[in-house]
Amino acid sequence: MYRRLLKPISPSARREERIFYLFILPWLIGLVVFNAGPILGILGLSFTDWRISFEGLNFVGLENYRTLFADETFWISVGNTLYITVGRVVLGTIFALFLAILLNQKVPGIPFFRAVYYLPSVTAGVAVALVWIWIFNPQVGILNHTLRLIGIKGPTWIHSTVWVKPSLIIMSIFTVGPNMIILLAGLQGIPKELYEAADIDGAGTWDKFVNVTLPMLSPVLFFVIIISVAASFQNFTEIRVMTQGGPGESSNVLVWYLWENAFVYFQMGVASAVAWIIFLLLMGLTGIQFRLGRRWVFYEV
Amino acid sequence: MSREKLSRRAFLKLAAATGSGAALAGLGPLSSIASAQDSVELTFGRHWEAAFRPRQAEYDEGFMERHPDIDISITYNTWADHNNVVPAWAAAGTLPDIIYVHGSRVVPWAHEGIIIDIHDIVTPDEEFDVDNMWEESLRLYRIDGRLHALPYDHGPLILGYNVDMFDAAGLDYPDEDWTMDDLREAAMALSNPDEFQWGWSGEFDLGNGGSDFFLGAWGGRKMNDDETEMILDSAESREAMNFWYSLIHEENAGPSATEAEGFGDNPWQNGRCGMAVVPTWETPSLRAFASFNWDVAPTPMGAGGVRRTGAFGSGYGITPTSGQPDVAWTYLREYLSNDGMIFMWSLSGRGSPARPEALEVWFTSDPAPPNAHFYRDAMFDYAVTGRPYQTIAGAQVSDILSREAELLRLGETTVDASIAAIMEEGQAALDAVADDM
Amino acid sequence: MTRPTAAKGATRKAKADTAWHRSIKGRRALAVLLTFALLIPLGILFVVPFFVMLSTALKTKPQIFQFPPSLIPDPIVWANFPEGWRGYDFIDFTGCTWNSVKITVNNIIGNLVSCTLAAYAFARLKARGKNIFFGILLATMLLPNEAVLIPQYVLFRILGWNDTHLPLMVPPWFGWPFFIFLLRQFFMTIPEELVDAAKIDGAGHARILMQIFVPLSKPALATLAIFAFVGNWNNFFGPLLYLRTPEIQTLPVCLVQYQGAYGNTDWNLMMAVATITVIPVLLIFIFGQRYFVEGIATSGVKR
Repeated sequence: MYRRLLKPISPSARREERIFYLFILPWLIGLVVFNAGPILGILGLSFTDWRISFEGLNFVGLENYRTLFADETFWISVGNTLYITVGRVVLGTIFALFLAILLNQKVPGIPFFRAVYYLPSVTAGVAVALVWIWIFNPQVGILNHTLRLIGIKGPTWIHSTVWVKPSLIIMSIFTVGPNMIILLAGLQGIPKELYEAADIDGAGTWDKFVNVTLPMLSPVLFFVIIISVAASFQNFTEIRVMTQGGPGESSNVLVWYLWENAFVYFQMGVASAVAWIIFLLLMGLTGIQFRLGRRWVFYEV
Repeated sequence: MSREKLSRRAFLKLAAATGSGAALAGLGPLSSIASAQDSVELTFGRHWEAAFRPRQAEYDEGFMERHPDIDISITYNTWADHNNVVPAWAAAGTLPDIIYVHGSRVVPWAHEGIIIDIHDIVTPDEEFDVDNMWEESLRLYRIDGRLHALPYDHGPLILGYNVDMFDAAGLDYPDEDWTMDDLREAAMALSNPDEFQWGWSGEFDLGNGGSDFFLGAWGGRKMNDDETEMILDSAESREAMNFWYSLIHEENAGPSATEAEGFGDNPWQNGRCGMAVVPTWETPSLRAFASFNWDVAPTPMGAGGVRRTGAFGSGYGITPTSGQPDVAWTYLREYLSNDGMIFMWSLSGRGSPARPEALEVWFTSDPAPPNAHFYRDAMFDYAVTGRPYQTIAGAQVSDILSREAELLRLGETTVDASIAAIMEEGQAALDAVADDM
Repeated sequence: MTRPTAAKGATRKAKADTAWHRSIKGRRALAVLLTFALLIPLGILFVVPFFVMLSTALKTKPQIFQFPPSLIPDPIVWANFPEGWRGYDFIDFTGCTWNSVKITVNNIIGNLVSCTLAAYAFARLKARGKNIFFGILLATMLLPNEAVLIPQYVLFRILGWNDTHLPLMVPPWFGWPFFIFLLRQFFMTIPEELVDAAKIDGAGHARILMQIFVPLSKPALATLAIFAFVGNWNNFFGPLLYLRTPEIQTLPVCLVQYQGAYGNTDWNLMMAVATITVIPVLLIFIFGQRYFVEGIATSGVKR
């Protein structure tokens, strides 16, 4: 890497390089000014006994990390995070792709349906998380009420240590709107000629999906998966408004664990350590995906 | 709610009417402010819900008329956000001058330097007369004998009942002679779960205010008075917990947590329950939302004739970054005076002012139930301030308690398992901070 | 991975016989039917949260919690909308809306400009150190916001931005990793031949970006704009922490002011305002989405 950096290059390549840095300059400035400090600060603070005040901090080495690894709740939250992430990413991506294909059909009223499917994603935020509590209510919620009408006794959803995680996954499926839109935009970007050519070759619907849609969509699909994993790890509002990590510890995910340590127990040093563990876990997962991505993502270039 | 503006004259008239205003009338602005040429800004972090803010604004307008040199500026947080926002303000050094502080946060916030020791500002001020406040309320704000904040409200948890539901069932109302067994009998007689009607509200609260209502009659307690040990595993506590657990899950005399949530987390307020724990601070919303007649009775006794309940409240503290504690005190000494409390919490019907005289005035307000005097009796005779409030591990312990209470109400755990978990985890949390205390 | 084999026939023109045409028509009708059979029931499910919100907004207080739950309010209380918006004369929703509009519009423009530039660079320019910077870009996307909330707040205070809109309005002009990554992925699918052709014509990178990438990426840019809109419009923790003066507060924080602590929340009024705040996003979405559809069709890839 080091040697490649110093490798002599041609004048035109140098010009291109200058333009590259010019174009990423705003982001670079933002990175240095707004992000580098806080991010490195959190790294440093994870090795201190930071509570609230920045004065009189003591360096405690790996103490915060040791505290975490010895805490049963921490491991529960790691498990919960992975559970919910696998569910959200697998089901969410498949469903988002399914919806995007549906909404890419040439049938009347498509703009209306696109709006309908995006609706739950628009109505994100605190107020709507409250609405979801009512929907999930086992006794008077519309979900179990409907199930009762067709003779099914629904579970207690977010009030059950068993069902709370599936409930959160189900809820996330309703908010696949952004992924659906990204995939839809990706589908729109696939040149029609490819399908026409496939038609002429006599390819069936499935063949076209496998041989045209998936490869052409793969960069976008790859993006969606990476983003979904990160979003699932960072999902906070619903947990805070709907379950606060409960019942028991059954929906205590890493970011909630971080929040509680920082803002309720004032263990900000420990919370900083949690932040870095989330970060490293996501880095690992993303790295693996990039590695795997080389095998299945198809780029023009 | 009284809508008239509280001008200087009205405030003084009010003060005179309640008999303690003479001192206040003679109050000049504090010297340091009098010498200031320009007006100073006094900033607040408060948490009133929007519906109560007009009253606060009225008070503040009156205050600024009396003190033209002070400008009041308020940031409102919701209850859910306040306790998270304040630490963030503290970390960034952007705390306002005065902050609302829940009784359970005084010790942790003082420990983190979010609120300052105001003992030497408060106690020399004879007109303020801090000793006139409920002694039980001041417990929350003293650390090693020194005041770190002051209460605005403090109230006991006593028994409320739906008069209409008792009448319909032809049952006698709860009274001073009632025991917990009477409560259970009435609760079972009033319950008809198929119709979503229950005798008991389904509450089962181990938190600050509630736990003494639920454990006290049996003589049970969560923790020792030093707050260094969990003692919930006593036979008394176990018996008490089994009583409430079976009332909900075996007798079906109270809604489960999920049923309660279906009625806005307050089936009692929605007219579904015969009886509930009713603190004074709930009375304005009962007034606004409840479409039935209701009244209150003393907390029922245990079999041994023991009567005990919990009490709790909130207050205001001054921040270290304020730099003008004298200006802050100019405000608080009036706001938390007898007359200030009468305006804010008594006449408005909000309830539970932290001074006995102001509570008397509240009895005459519209939201107060006919037998409101039982609140005063409870404060004088048998209400104790609910723990934990002395340990800096309070938040951890409270989280464990509310988690287990939720699981119990959901029927997802047993009383024995719950007690074991609270004992083990609660004790670990207390031990972890033993050195810091 | 190789190019899809079907692409080889892309330029061939189909000479279809009538029988083949008919069978296509029949299959097409079936496909439309099947699409509707899936779209409609699923669509009903997806409307439920909004419907619950709207129906609560139109109820009287006692109606909100009753069993069995009533879906259609009776009576329908339209007055909840003006009353909710009035906010006890103490929550200035109109003022909060203008603040939200100002911040949101600024941030969409800022994001579009800064992210387009960076995305083009990462997608199409060769430079030493590019992979390292791309790695950093991804990494910053992976740190949870809640973790840097306090350090960032401290930074904004040092900059003197406490209690101003600046912490919310300035950073979007310096890119947003998620959006840069999103646009990069789209830019990478634009055929290299188009760029080569432009280069032969002597176009610089600025021109290639503006005349080829931007027009071809309208769906992606529209997507980015809508995400930026929803994200900024619903942003809660930022304004909650950075803004103190009620007059400069934004809609989401104003909205939760309805929440009381002792069960005394006017849910119907709160949901009425929540419904109103969703409407602009919906309108933007409905009108903005023609760019997804027409973006390709009008200026599409013609080779």
